[in-house]
Amino acid sequence: MDSYKLQDTAKKIRRLIIEIACRSRSAHVGSSLSCVDILTTLYFHAMNIDKRDWKNRDIFVLSKAHAAMALYATLACKGVISKKKLFGYMQDDGTLPAHLDRFTAQGIEVSAGSLGHGFNIAIGMAYGYKLRGDGRRVFTLIGDGESEEGSIWEGALFASRLKLDNLTVIMDRNDLQGYGRPSELCYFEPMEDKWKAFGWKALRVDGHSFIELKGALKGREKGKPKVIIADTTKGKGVPFMEDEMKWHYFIVTDDLREEAMRYLCR
Amino acid sequence: MRNSVIKRIAKEAGKKKDIFLITGDAGFGVLDKYKKLFPERFLNLGVAEQNMIGIAAGLGLTGFKVFVYNIVPFVLYRCYEQVRNDICYQNVPVTLIGIGSGVTYSPQGVTHYSVEDIALARTLPNLVIFSPSDPIEAVKCVEYALSSKDPVYIRIAKSGEPVIHNRKVKDIRSPVVLNEGEGVAVLFHGSVSTEVISALEGVRRRPKAISVPMLQPMDFDSLGRKLKDIHTIITVEEHFSEGGLGSIIAEWIAGRGLDYRLIKLGIKNEFIHEIKNNAGMRSHYGISSEAIKETIGRAYENG
Repeated sequence: MDSYKLQDTAKKIRRLIIEIACRSRSAHVGSSLSCVDILTTLYFHAMNIDKRDWKNRDIFVLSKAHAAMALYATLACKGVISKKKLFGYMQDDGTLPAHLDRFTAQGIEVSAGSLGHGFNIAIGMAYGYKLRGDGRRVFTLIGDGESEEGSIWEGALFASRLKLDNLTVIMDRNDLQGYGRPSELCYFEPMEDKWKAFGWKALRVDGHSFIELKGALKGREKGKPKVIIADTTKGKGVPFMEDEMKWHYFIVTDDLREEAMRYLCR
Repeated sequence: MRNSVIKRIAKEAGKKKDIFLITGDAGFGVLDKYKKLFPERFLNLGVAEQNMIGIAAGLGLTGFKVFVYNIVPFVLYRCYEQVRNDICYQNVPVTLIGIGSGVTYSPQGVTHYSVEDIALARTLPNLVIFSPSDPIEAVKCVEYALSSKDPVYIRIAKSGEPVIHNRKVKDIRSPVVLNEGEGVAVLFHGSVSTEVISALEGVRRRPKAISVPMLQPMDFDSLGRKLKDIHTIITVEEHFSEGGLGSIIAEWIAGRGLDYRLIKLGIKNEFIHEIKNNAGMRSHYGISSEAIKETIGRAYENG
């Protein structure tokens, strides 16, 4: 899909996120908005996702599962889940929880919510498909805050040793976590070098540039898993939410919804 | 028990292409043959337990029947949240084989004991919990796990445990009566079974001896039928006396308003600083054959 179309799709997904966040009074709006362009590129360009050929689909694991709204909205846009299901997000007697439960909807490959879990499950899945000679690929999105978890680095050590060139990890590098910035809390950078030192093919892109994301997602280096450090802005697309820590938690009131929609309908 | 368990898994791996064995740097001398026979379906994921369980879950999601082998603290404690979220919450049929039940590894120290694993495992819905009493039961547990669509935890001691069953174990899901008796019943699980068996020798009145290999879900209907004409139940386990079989039975008695007297023998709920071998530790905590024999005698006197 060309970048203009991807841009339109991403805007549509952002509008859906604001809508369900407002209806449910949900937190994690900023965390969801920051990865929309990545998810759009994956689901509408890079991944093989076809409802008619569901058995052979590529796998996406949302490891930073507090951004579940972004995945739900993307799946709805893709036609994998219904709008009705989407609007049941976080409602009493609703359809979709704030963090992922794989038994709630098609397209939720892995249950997650606690950080540093989905990534390792994705490694296991990639290895499983490889052993079976199944050509499908596995993609997983991790957070930068999430990358403070020891389990991420345990997995990083082993995935390269397992030569998982069917695995692509994307890091949503928005430099804002629940209560601080990774770059301030710990010795976070240089991220590419760290992954390279662990035996990975590492790339760094602007996580809001479809051209760069498409380029980075293309191809594979034989015998190496790939990590794409995607520099992003938390709350991307809604100026008053951008790079604001409070939008890890704040809720979208009816008034703020109107204001956000003005930016997202342009 | 561990050798019988791995042998049974290897036998199945020869027949089925989806059997997979993972270890976290344990199994020297135990897994060698399996590793040699099925190198492509074996992984040593090193000293990284969170990753080990996550990968096991991921492999399970792609259709592999995964067995994870390690000492108990490294299949259940260090990676409890991975077992909870990745395996049990997602209901992936991964089998955790925990070695070194109770104080098998004494005097290695508390870090290497597993005296609270059943209490911990019982908090996990979907997880089937086994604590086999001998190699015959252990193999049956593996066979259950091989056909199970649920996650399974099998706690075993190490190697060299004697066979205590003189008959075939028909159904590993139900408590097994090893020795008929009346008035008093001794319920037990795991390798401490040898203490129970030797306690029965030379007692004036022989109690009913019942091995309880499957602790979750517990087959209370079958157990209830086996406890007719019993007034006192003695539970024996190499586990904290709270949180294991004794507690399961206590909850059952209280919940159903049953009329049994219950005596729970187990390890006192404390961090163990004693430096003793396995036999010494069992004596210290009152789960040796002598202590069990004495408890049986008192149970008849007070019955």
